[in-house]
Amino acid sequence: MTARVVIADDDVDIRALVRISATRAGFEIVAEVGDGDAALAAVREFAPDLAILDVTMPGLTGVEVCRAVREDPALDAVRILLLSAAVGEVSMATGLEAGAAAYFEKPFSPRELTASLIGVLGGAPS
Amino acid sequence: MRSIFDRIRGILTVDHPSPALKQLPTPIALVISLVIVWAVPDIAILNDVWAIIGVVLVTLATALSAILTWKTRYANWAVLIPVIDFIGIGAFRAGTGGTASIFSAMIILPVVWVAAEKGRGYIALAGAGAAVALMMPYIFGVAEITNAGDLIRGVFSPLIFIFASIIINELARQSRAQLSSIHSLADEKEAMLQRTFEYASQLEESEAKYRSADRLFRGVWAAVTEQSVIGTDITGLIDAWNPGATKMFGLTWRQAEGKRYIFDFHLQEELDARARELNYPPGETVLNPGFSALVESARLGNAESRDWTYARDDGTTFPVSLSVTKRMDEAGATAGYLFVAADVTQEREVSRLKDEFVGLISHELRTPLSSILGYLELMKDDDEHPLSDEQVQYLGVAERNAHRLLRLVGDLLFTAQVESGKFPLDARQVELESIVRAAVESARPGAAAGGITLVEQLTERSPVTHGDPVRLGQACDNLISNALKFTPRGGTVTVTLSETEKDAVITVSDTGMGIAESELDQLFSRFFRASTATRNAVPGVGLGLTITKAIVTAHHGEMDVQSEEGVGTQFSMRLPLASAVLSPS
Repeated sequence: MTARVVIADDDVDIRALVRISATRAGFEIVAEVGDGDAALAAVREFAPDLAILDVTMPGLTGVEVCRAVREDPALDAVRILLLSAAVGEVSMATGLEAGAAAYFEKPFSPRELTASLIGVLGGAPS
Repeated sequence: MRSIFDRIRGILTVDHPSPALKQLPTPIALVISLVIVWAVPDIAILNDVWAIIGVVLVTLATALSAILTWKTRYANWAVLIPVIDFIGIGAFRAGTGGTASIFSAMIILPVVWVAAEKGRGYIALAGAGAAVALMMPYIFGVAEITNAGDLIRGVFSPLIFIFASIIINELARQSRAQLSSIHSLADEKEAMLQRTFEYASQLEESEAKYRSADRLFRGVWAAVTEQSVIGTDITGLIDAWNPGATKMFGLTWRQAEGKRYIFDFHLQEELDARARELNYPPGETVLNPGFSALVESARLGNAESRDWTYARDDGTTFPVSLSVTKRMDEAGATAGYLFVAADVTQEREVSRLKDEFVGLISHELRTPLSSILGYLELMKDDDEHPLSDEQVQYLGVAERNAHRLLRLVGDLLFTAQVESGKFPLDARQVELESIVRAAVESARPGAAAGGITLVEQLTERSPVTHGDPVRLGQACDNLISNALKFTPRGGTVTVTLSETEKDAVITVSDTGMGIAESELDQLFSRFFRASTATRNAVPGVGLGLTITKAIVTAHHGEMDVQSEEGVGTQFSMRLPLASAVLSPS
């Protein structure tokens, strides 16, 4: 069974870049959204294996979505990867504290993201 | 010059009678005598010659007295006048009947004069004068001593005059003594009066100074309308409330002074938190822990400035920067405190907006760069459509420049953080050797490409400092890449790590173009570029050294630079050793 992924980023080009990286990792993209509220809705709807969330988005931030997901026991299995463009805005520690499995700083290398995605889901039941 | 009136007053004064005044009774008596002689037939001049000699001598003496009164510097000769009078009166007496003359009594006049002079010797002179005057009829043969009565008269009368002289002399002495004590009393009084005047004028002067200082103080007090200045006693009860405080809290001084406490305008939870920070034992010794926490620093004599929140009576709050200082009484004891506060709401807002702006810019610049770099990588990694060598080279240039932009964005963000005082330091114990080694290794490809020898000199033991390894690495990278940029092909860049008693020292020296001495001061300011850099078209924006210095300063270290144009430059960073940091200061 292919791992299912939700991607959330307000920048269309970055979203496409993430999609390509995830596809290369062999994942199935179940939803692509451009803001935090839609991201939370998509995660609740699809209960994916992985959610890749931009930190700075309109509406809820990636960290807020992450916290909301972690508070929901039904979504325990959802792994979260945060992407952040602003240094110092939200530190890696804050992201990991909120319950993210990994934290990526922009700009990121698609090659490394692909490798990391495979790593994050490595130990996860799929 | 003395006026004529002064002179006349001098002649007539009784205090120090002039010769003329002393002489005056004698000629008057003589004139009266002459009138009597002329008017009374029973009394006649018996010997014209002696009578005329007598009148002439008294006239002469009177004239002399007038002269000596006028020419005061010959005053010592004044005693001659009564002596002449003695002879004159003696002669006149001889001419008007000798021992039987009714004018014998006139002798008393010069006797009084002479006897009143200062000194016992004048008693003898007065006696001798009287004796001569009385004996003259016998001396000049106008009369003859015919019996013992005549002889006794010649002795007895002068004796009486001598007694009178003694009494006069003594009375005069006493009166002189009294006069002199009156004079000295008057002098003392005069001096006291003078002192009183001086004292009064000093008082007036200091009062004027006090008034002027008071006016200045009142002016300043009323002029401070943007800061609240509040004075309290040692319990915190407000006793001074300036117009700034009125504006800030909407309370007049009448409503505040003597009625409210300073801590009424603070948030209790902030005061409690500060009290906990200062480790006040709860409920012990300290009456009001909140107030004590507020004035802790000031009480110990240190002026303290700290951010607090002030609260108005309506419950609204606002942030202030508050300075607390101690007020002293005349004995030097603590009399209370002064609280000077400025509302920093606007500053906070500006700072928040600036942070927001920097974050936004950073985000907005990084996102497109992320796309550029990500898609460049995708193109290079595309195994299905491999690129030609030329295309790979072109993409490499694009990638390198995108990275350059990214670094610049990072540097700008970092300097903005330094400026706003928000400088994230992830500090821990750091071995500097590994940091320096890593920086040198990452610089090797660049040095090789530029034909520059890169030398590394490390100490045997690796110094340990307390710091952020990423930031310290960034500082080393900056200095090494700077040195490489400014050193021509064939030159040498040497990186040294050494240790002094308290500091670890990282030195980067080059054999490059150097920096003009006049520019060394500005080297660490933002966007400054040395003239040697612009002249030689060395790329850069002038942020590297600003950042490096900020990093070193944040680590409580110091930066130093030495340079000679055309010879080379040496930068050194001194960072306190962890052992020095940990030891109690």
